[in-house]
Amino acid sequence: MALSVSSCATDLQTRVAGNLTALSKNQTVAILPVETSDPGQKEMAKMFRQGLYANLKQSKFHLLERYVIDGLLKQNKLIDPSTLLAINPMRFGEILGVDAIVFSRINKVERSYFVLHSSIELSVSVQMVDTRSGEILWRAEQTEQDFSGIGKIPTGITTALLAPIQFVTNKFNLSRMTSNMVDKLTVLIKHPNEADKENQFEKPVIAKNATTELKKIEELQQLKAEWQKTIILGEEAELSDSSENLESNKESLVEITTKPESNSVKKNIMQARSLVQKRKRVESEMPPLSPKKEAKIPVPINLSQATTVEPIAVIESKEVRPITRSHVGTSAKQLASPKTQLYTIQVGAYKTKAHARKLEQSLKRKGYDVFITQNGKNIYRVQVDRFKSKEDAIKLAHRIQIKEKLKNFVTRFSGV
Amino acid sequence: MLKKLTIFIVLFGIVFGGCGTVDLKVRKNLDHPNIHPNTVAILPFTLAGPTPEGVPVHRLFRECFFNYFSYLGYVDVPLETIDYKLQAAGMKKYKEVLGFSPEKLRDILAVDAVIKGQVLETNNFTGGIHAETSIKAKIEMIDLRTGETLWETEHKERIYSGILSPTVVEIIQDQMDNVKVHQALYKTAEMFSIGIMMEIPDPAEVWQKKIRLPEIKSIETNLRPNQKLKPDDRIYVNLKGDAGLKGSFGIGSWKSNIPLREITPGMYSGSYIVQESDEISSALIVGTLKNAQGLAGKRFYKHGMAVIEKSSLN
Repeated sequence: MALSVSSCATDLQTRVAGNLTALSKNQTVAILPVETSDPGQKEMAKMFRQGLYANLKQSKFHLLERYVIDGLLKQNKLIDPSTLLAINPMRFGEILGVDAIVFSRINKVERSYFVLHSSIELSVSVQMVDTRSGEILWRAEQTEQDFSGIGKIPTGITTALLAPIQFVTNKFNLSRMTSNMVDKLTVLIKHPNEADKENQFEKPVIAKNATTELKKIEELQQLKAEWQKTIILGEEAELSDSSENLESNKESLVEITTKPESNSVKKNIMQARSLVQKRKRVESEMPPLSPKKEAKIPVPINLSQATTVEPIAVIESKEVRPITRSHVGTSAKQLASPKTQLYTIQVGAYKTKAHARKLEQSLKRKGYDVFITQNGKNIYRVQVDRFKSKEDAIKLAHRIQIKEKLKNFVTRFSGV
Repeated sequence: MLKKLTIFIVLFGIVFGGCGTVDLKVRKNLDHPNIHPNTVAILPFTLAGPTPEGVPVHRLFRECFFNYFSYLGYVDVPLETIDYKLQAAGMKKYKEVLGFSPEKLRDILAVDAVIKGQVLETNNFTGGIHAETSIKAKIEMIDLRTGETLWETEHKERIYSGILSPTVVEIIQDQMDNVKVHQALYKTAEMFSIGIMMEIPDPAEVWQKKIRLPEIKSIETNLRPNQKLKPDDRIYVNLKGDAGLKGSFGIGSWKSNIPLREITPGMYSGSYIVQESDEISSALIVGTLKNAQGLAGKRFYKHGMAVIEKSSLN
């Protein structure tokens, strides 16, 4: 009875996610430096992290070496373990190149001594988070208590006095308790398949920081989608306004379709501006993940995300004029002179030059006089031919639409 | 009286403490960064005599030592890999490994250093009020580049409980624990390992400055903001980064290690076709480049998420 009453007490609450079983040797996990609530707990923190390494080495996933983690954290100026939990797990994914991270905290290391009685109480919290999804894969809270004193029936008067002192001062006891604690703590994570229902999360739980981040990304995407929509309308407006000014006496399909919307278009431009401002604000709130801006690699053109501005107006005309340059007969520079107003057909607009080049090459091979121009927003516009007459431009635009299945519109030629 | 008490306290401390500090002799000054070995293989430990209940203490101790050694700043080769390579080189018995020259070991294992362990003595005894489990072993690290011993120790780790134990409860508890032989030996090996790790020179600081993960300069996909995917849609991923590495990408945690092919040096490309059975909900695309050492560079594509249209899920 004395044995059962006075033996070492453990309170362990642990839960694992179903997705924990999906981790294999192909996935790497990083055990981050242990947070402490008191500077005096550093030794315990070291022992605990070491114990976690030794125990999780027996699990199904691969562990990233401790010195690699510490080195990379240092390089990223993340030295204080107490700040780590506040950082989005996805950021750790990029900093450390890992699939999951283990946060841990020493909540309590309490040694008590009352002449004939002494005790040690240890308390820790651990959380493993998937950096790719933000899902909490494992969460545990553990308290371990042990004592020495009358309750354990001393073997003599001397031991009754000395045992409590020895118990709290001997480093071996702390080491032994920590080791026991980690053994119990990691049982479930080493064998997640053996977890009872009560030890499993009912639904996937996403870490708070990851939720915030994912929400921001989703919001940002929503805004980007709206923004793209508005930009398209904005371009329509630009086209309509310019056509109206230049050829107020002549009617064209473009003018007809866009003119009645001029007020709403202005509203759209304003909306676009406000969206851009809002987008910047959201981006600035996000932690910087990729400081360097690098050149992008082309992706298949029909599915390209980089296609930010899509060709918009479909021009209808019954007459089609053959593709020749003779009807213009002047060089691009001459054509661009302010005295001569020229028209061209825009077949695409891209953020990335490589994508614009791809379309340019494809049309060139088919015999079109195609070239790329760049506007003030750093958009690469793919345009075909130049015309003095807007009608001629519309005719060719129509032919391109039918033959090449390329949406396009006629716009003012602003030079190469 | 005071003298007796002092002697008692000293004895009490030594005996009940169970384990003394591991006396590790560092044979070579490892202060210079270039001296430290980087890759280390823990060779199979040998066993000098019989063990309690035939427990393979040498194997148990080696595994335990390896688990704790992974905390230190060395690149430790997995035990299975070591065993496989040694067997492929003709090793049939563990003891043979002690006779291998440093040159031969370096040829077989391609590491900077090895750790040799010899379990010299093991004991597990429970009787009366006495309970004891001990492991005595000699462990050394040999630099295969020079053939020199970098450090060595011969230590006996003992977990003891008996007449000098302070409480009756502890005596009974220790005896109960001690009769579980395998567990008691493992616990002793664990304490041995924890003790020795405190003494082994740790080059973590040396290597920390040299760590560099594979760099991913950019990642691009064809996912558009708010785009909903349907079966047979193809997700394209292009990645630009360090050349000559193993490239892959994942869709959140739902699918990983989809291979990327290096189309030109530093340019990786791959794709995934959405299947009828796929259930992807707001997953970020993550690109990975892995080097020969197993270190990975990762980068998330944050301009679009993989989302399967709900109607197609049903």
